[in-house]
Amino acid sequence: MLERPFQERPDFEHLRAVLLRERKDGPVPLLELAADPEIMSEVTGIPYPAARARELVFGIPGSLDPEAAKLGIALMDLSIAYSVKLGLDYATMIPVVPLLRTRAQLAKTGVGRDRALRSWQDEHAGLIPNRDEFLRYRWPSFDQINILPVEYAATRMPDGMKVVLLYRGIFEDLRQLMGFEALAYATADDPELVDDVLEGLTRVAEYTVGLAAAHPATGAVFYGDDMGFSSGTFLSPRFMRQHVVPRLKRIADACHEHGKPFILHSCGNVLALMEDFIAVVGIDAKHSFEDKILPVEDWYARYADRIAIIGGLDMDLLGRGSEEEVRARTRQILQACAPGGGYCMGTGNSAANYIKLDNYYAMIDETRKWNEEHGC
Amino acid sequence: MVDLQELHEAILNGDAKAAAAVTRAALAQNVPALDLIQQAMVPAMDEVGRRFECQDYFVPELLLSARAMKAALEPLRPLLAASGAQPAGTVVIGTVKGDLHDIGKNLVAALLEGGGFEVIDLGVDVAPEKFVETVQQTNANIVCLSALLTVTMLSMKAVIEGLRAAGLREYVTVLVGGAPVTRQFAEEIGADGYGENASAAVALARSCAKSAAVG
Repeated sequence: MLERPFQERPDFEHLRAVLLRERKDGPVPLLELAADPEIMSEVTGIPYPAARARELVFGIPGSLDPEAAKLGIALMDLSIAYSVKLGLDYATMIPVVPLLRTRAQLAKTGVGRDRALRSWQDEHAGLIPNRDEFLRYRWPSFDQINILPVEYAATRMPDGMKVVLLYRGIFEDLRQLMGFEALAYATADDPELVDDVLEGLTRVAEYTVGLAAAHPATGAVFYGDDMGFSSGTFLSPRFMRQHVVPRLKRIADACHEHGKPFILHSCGNVLALMEDFIAVVGIDAKHSFEDKILPVEDWYARYADRIAIIGGLDMDLLGRGSEEEVRARTRQILQACAPGGGYCMGTGNSAANYIKLDNYYAMIDETRKWNEEHGC
Repeated sequence: MVDLQELHEAILNGDAKAAAAVTRAALAQNVPALDLIQQAMVPAMDEVGRRFECQDYFVPELLLSARAMKAALEPLRPLLAASGAQPAGTVVIGTVKGDLHDIGKNLVAALLEGGGFEVIDLGVDVAPEKFVETVQQTNANIVCLSALLTVTMLSMKAVIEGLRAAGLREYVTVLVGGAPVTRQFAEEIGADGYGENASAAVALARSCAKSAAVG
């Protein structure tokens, strides 16, 4: 359990100032890409049928099932309650984008834990493995896309809190729509097909991000797009620069047009693309770090003069370490990253259902103590 | 006369059609199958691995080269079977229980096949007992385990313990890999090796196969 809430009241304007590196003083805020429903449910004490929601939301592409809609609304309420309970400056919301995707698979992931059912992206059977399927694919029209979750949260969040919009990135969807292997072959056999699928996804992303960023309740856009694995990018940096980076810029521009920070979450070793993300795309902050690749302190040392750095407490430590180890590591990260500003504490990836909740609380509690010790 | 360098280049360039065509032409000219493998294919895949390590090649290039290698191997299979040539080793590979991620696992499997191994791919979410049972049934000498998450990688230990309980541990080399897996973790659970990426995993398997042959 948390000894005390992280802070008395939400202050998104402070979080925004940290994301934009406008001030170095003040408390180190908390920021996550997302929290799994099981974690939010445990934190708030509000029951939520996460396993059923996954079956409905991920299992039926484009479904408007009434039960799914009901669980979607309950999830928005849960997200706000979770943010209030922890004392966060934001509530995470996801726009409604009826993009047809392959059916996800579910697996019980946590060893001996009932709550750890996870959905997994199908990496083989994409809906667009070739040109014929591309021509048959039905892209969502703009009038099918909406930001009802943002509007819903706008009237329910406490004063000082804003929405952080979570948007699933075009490269992740490219991998899912084509299937990873088909995508890999297409980069050589039919690069125009890859370009066409990317363009379809970019048009949807640009529109949706722009729509959400224009809403006064939206404080920032958290754009999640895994582009690397542990030793490098999935596709060559040259390919990414030619086909993906310019499109990321269009999406970031749609966000910046409304003066909202654009945060990039990308797992894996994407060091080869960082200069492109900063100088071309214009990201305001980078998230997702793994100690195995490069500890967050090193990312901070390299890039914090140009962008904000978010999170970095390793998922392995949160999943398998002790509370004491988490507290020690949290403090170590804060010592390196907090004094220079432009840093938010958080996990290396997300508040996933397989981490130990007590460890997550330890990270939050240690950050609160750090802030108090430093007069914030 | 067919130039084996053409086969080498076709695999390096990931050109499956050219790789198969050069192989067939070479066979028509009575070039021994083993010469094609040892003088062109294996060196080409070694070079692919080297280029991947130095980030000159990426995942698509690995897959394309593996596809070209498979295409070149196809016309050789009946000849190799008739000659009684043995595979470099028999590998049982799978993503461990609770984990459905398999991009890395498939990549390793494709490269191992390209490297002349017999590969038995058990797929994803594989129970420890299934690994043990398959090793028993196939006399495999290498087991490759993959995981994406920090919690699912713990199942790797259960596989190793299962092999030990079945009295098979000393006969198989266990290699582990995946995003959260580290060399330290591999040592902690008693694995024989850790591959940081697909190319490293295949190099490790080949080195294990060589050691076994020497031993």
